[in-house]
Amino acid sequence: MTLTAELVDLLGTARVLDHPLRRHVYGKDGGVTRGDVELVCLPDTTSEVVEIVRIARRHGLPVIPRGAGTGLAGGAVPLGPAVMIVLTRMDRIEDVDVESKTAWVGPGVINLELSQHTHRHGLHYAPDPSSQSTCTVGGNVATNAGGLHCLAEGTTVAHVLAVEMVTADGEVVTLGGEAPDPIGLDLRAVAVGSEGTLGVVTRVLVRLTENAPASQTLLLAFDDIENAAATVSAIISEGIVPGALEMMDRVTVEAVENYVHAGFPTEAAAVLLAEIVGTSAGVAAEANRVASIARANGAIDVEIASSPAQAALWWKGRKSAFGAVAQAAPDYYLHDTVVPRTKLVEVLRAVYAIGRKYDLLMMNVFHAGDGNLHPLMAYDSAQPGVLDRVHAAAEEIVRASIAAGGALSGEHGIGIEKRDLMGLTFGPVDLDAQARLREAFDPEQVFNPGKVLPEGSRCFDYGRPPVGAEA
Amino acid sequence: MNLVGQLAPYETEVAGAPNAEFTVAPPSVEDAARILDLACERGLRVLTWGGGTHQGYGYGVDPDVVLSTHRLDRLIDWSPDDLVAVVEAGVKVSTLEERLAEKGQSAILSEIPGGATVGGSIAAGISGWRRLRYGPIRDRILEATVATGDGRVIRAGGRVVKNATGYDIPRLMTGSLGSLGVIGSVALKLWPVALHAATVTVEDPTLALATAYRPIAVLETNSASAVYLSGTDEALDEQIASLDGTRADGHLWPDPLDHNTVLVMRVPSRHTAAAVTQVEDSWDFCAAHGVGEIRIGSNTASSDDANRLRQWAEAHNGALVVERLADDLRSGFDPWGTPPATAGLQRRVKDAFDPVGVCNPGKLPGGV
Ligand SMILES: Cc1cc2nc3c(=O)[nH]c(=O)nc-3n(C[C@H](O)[C@H](O)[C@H](O)COP(=O)(O)OP(=O)(O)OC[C@H]3O[C@@H](n4cnc5c(N)ncnc54)[C@H](O)[C@@H]3O)c2cc1C
Repeated sequence: MTLTAELVDLLGTARVLDHPLRRHVYGKDGGVTRGDVELVCLPDTTSEVVEIVRIARRHGLPVIPRGAGTGLAGGAVPLGPAVMIVLTRMDRIEDVDVESKTAWVGPGVINLELSQHTHRHGLHYAPDPSSQSTCTVGGNVATNAGGLHCLAEGTTVAHVLAVEMVTADGEVVTLGGEAPDPIGLDLRAVAVGSEGTLGVVTRVLVRLTENAPASQTLLLAFDDIENAAATVSAIISEGIVPGALEMMDRVTVEAVENYVHAGFPTEAAAVLLAEIVGTSAGVAAEANRVASIARANGAIDVEIASSPAQAALWWKGRKSAFGAVAQAAPDYYLHDTVVPRTKLVEVLRAVYAIGRKYDLLMMNVFHAGDGNLHPLMAYDSAQPGVLDRVHAAAEEIVRASIAAGGALSGEHGIGIEKRDLMGLTFGPVDLDAQARLREAFDPEQVFNPGKVLPEGSRCFDYGRPPVGAEA
Repeated sequence: MNLVGQLAPYETEVAGAPNAEFTVAPPSVEDAARILDLACERGLRVLTWGGGTHQGYGYGVDPDVVLSTHRLDRLIDWSPDDLVAVVEAGVKVSTLEERLAEKGQSAILSEIPGGATVGGSIAAGISGWRRLRYGPIRDRILEATVATGDGRVIRAGGRVVKNATGYDIPRLMTGSLGSLGVIGSVALKLWPVALHAATVTVEDPTLALATAYRPIAVLETNSASAVYLSGTDEALDEQIASLDGTRADGHLWPDPLDHNTVLVMRVPSRHTAAAVTQVEDSWDFCAAHGVGEIRIGSNTASSDDANRLRQWAEAHNGALVVERLADDLRSGFDPWGTPPATAGLQRRVKDAFDPVGVCNPGKLPGGV
């Protein structure tokens, strides 16, 4: 039987997409690279995923898992002929265990819908990427997604207790578990952030977080970025860890203000939004302390949201930043690097200089508390040669971040976007160890081949051959 | 040069460690890698030794080499404004926490660590009592430099609080019980210590857990239950008013269990209260509500008792692990119980780091 016939046999024609137009849609994610998709499958169950993996292997084709396709690193973009498994239909939220604050969910559950679903129990799912109204929990697991609230709560890996995964052999394994510290090696931690290279995640046990009884948002405006960054450090070194601490630069604030009318001071060089959560008296006390820290660090404007509606509008402004960019240019490249918090100013200056050098509009809106930068380059892809400039600038930003002691990615992952830059932070021996770890799960690179690790990472010159191997 | 000559510069003595042909202490992670390389060549079993406080887990290893981390004792870097410290594995938890406290910070390691080292705490996955609020220890390991079983020095992760760059080897090292290699140094995520702390004695820990907003810990022992809080004065007053208990200032942690046998039940947190009912009256225990960890100490428990507890824990999707075992329990009671269904995959992961099998061979569940 042909590949298509076998898959149609399994899933029916409606859940196997091979029309060129449909395939085109799945040839790209939220990033800038495009690939060719051979065939798209839309399974409903774990056992269907097992069968698809087996069929693909029989036909010698690799498997690309995909969620909502909002990834920005090209993680779900095939590099050659492959079977794509789209998990959006596996979107069931199984019983929420209110007492243990956990829930088993399908990988296709939309991030925001999970929090909406558990709201009635006074719980939410803490990692909240800006794309949360469209991205899937499975994609979040694969990229170890972060979000506004990861400063206090940690990224996805801190909120995933177990994953069910279909391996290259078509086995279904559960990594991690309901009880703390399941015995043996913590393979769950390796599966999270593995960008679809180790298996297909078919179920996820998430940890839910109590909704705060009270919260308060502050808007802090500064006439230079340095004071804003100093305020970020001062807040944290005073022992306050806000729920969220986000920075927007002037270009971003202007774009957002035109778009949402959130009441942001457009004359400021930088605006910080800080959210304090906790019990009501505690929140009020901490909000006052944050306000005085900001004043002491030269804030030109300090506002405490007068109502939940005002706070919601400010946050809407922050979350619409990427949408607002459309006014400036039709296309954008959203970058992601992370640096020590104390190096924010230094690296931001470098980022602006890189923007000038390549004549690109550079906007910055980012998770300041984490040192997680998101320089955004707005451009028009109709302009000849502009993408080359964008890519060159992107690489320079990575280099500047690494030079400041940072890392390639804080939350978007490596995919193909940064694969060939891995050598900037890791030596050959480090990459070889990563490649061996991958090999332990997927020796034949069935899943997402060519992603994350640069070619040649697995180097047999290092270390010793396994027991029994030929010398 | 013969093996004795090659290991001579590292020769040392370690109180409490098992007898072995060689007892060595490398002064750097590169030296640790050299020793492991030699071990591979000669097929020697290497037992890594930190403070020796948590060597009781899992299957026993009869070592040819005891590798002590006590010379890896430097605080390499500490950037208070970044809340990140880079520290060698052999640094004592107490030493590190004292230093960090000078600037009001903490790595949230064990509250009463005894002689435990940072590396040993990570290798054993010791999360301390404050886990309910701050999460398990693995969530604070940002970067790890490791001498792998086959004598390479690898680094993974980074010195930043958030990272999505490659596979999470630092978390994999956490709880690996020295089976993949020797942890040389780590970058730790620190937390600012809140200005005020209180311990509130309560009647009903389950009710208190439901009432308090994200407490630091809710612990129940044979004698009392308490809620641990920290924050601003205002936040503390407000929380305590809702709790109906007796307040004491500071965090008053329970005494460590010093019994011949210490077992740890790990169950989904909703079963914590039920797990406590499984503990015999004559034993001591401390249960972390909201976490699902119940530590049990006894000088009289039999292997039948231990097996009964394990059966209960496994029937509730949990496990019973051994932290310390009296001699007369060593037969008729398995240190791990039912091995995980993924033992085959675990074995392949171990082989990726320790292909010859020199690092604590056979210690993990399933004899991995
Ligand atoms: C406007 C915008 C804002 C964003 N903001 C943030 C942000 O704040 N924080 C952040 O972290 N990210 C952000 N992102 C990036 C993106 O939303 C995240 O990476 C998200 O986790 C991807 O989820 P997805 O379902 O779209 O996955 P996809 O893009 O479909 O896939 C991403 C990767 O996961 C793998 N994968 C997907 N599902 C599975 C599965 N079930 N099993 C195994 N592998 C799988 C894919 O192979 C791929 O490598 C943003 C993106 C956009 C467009």
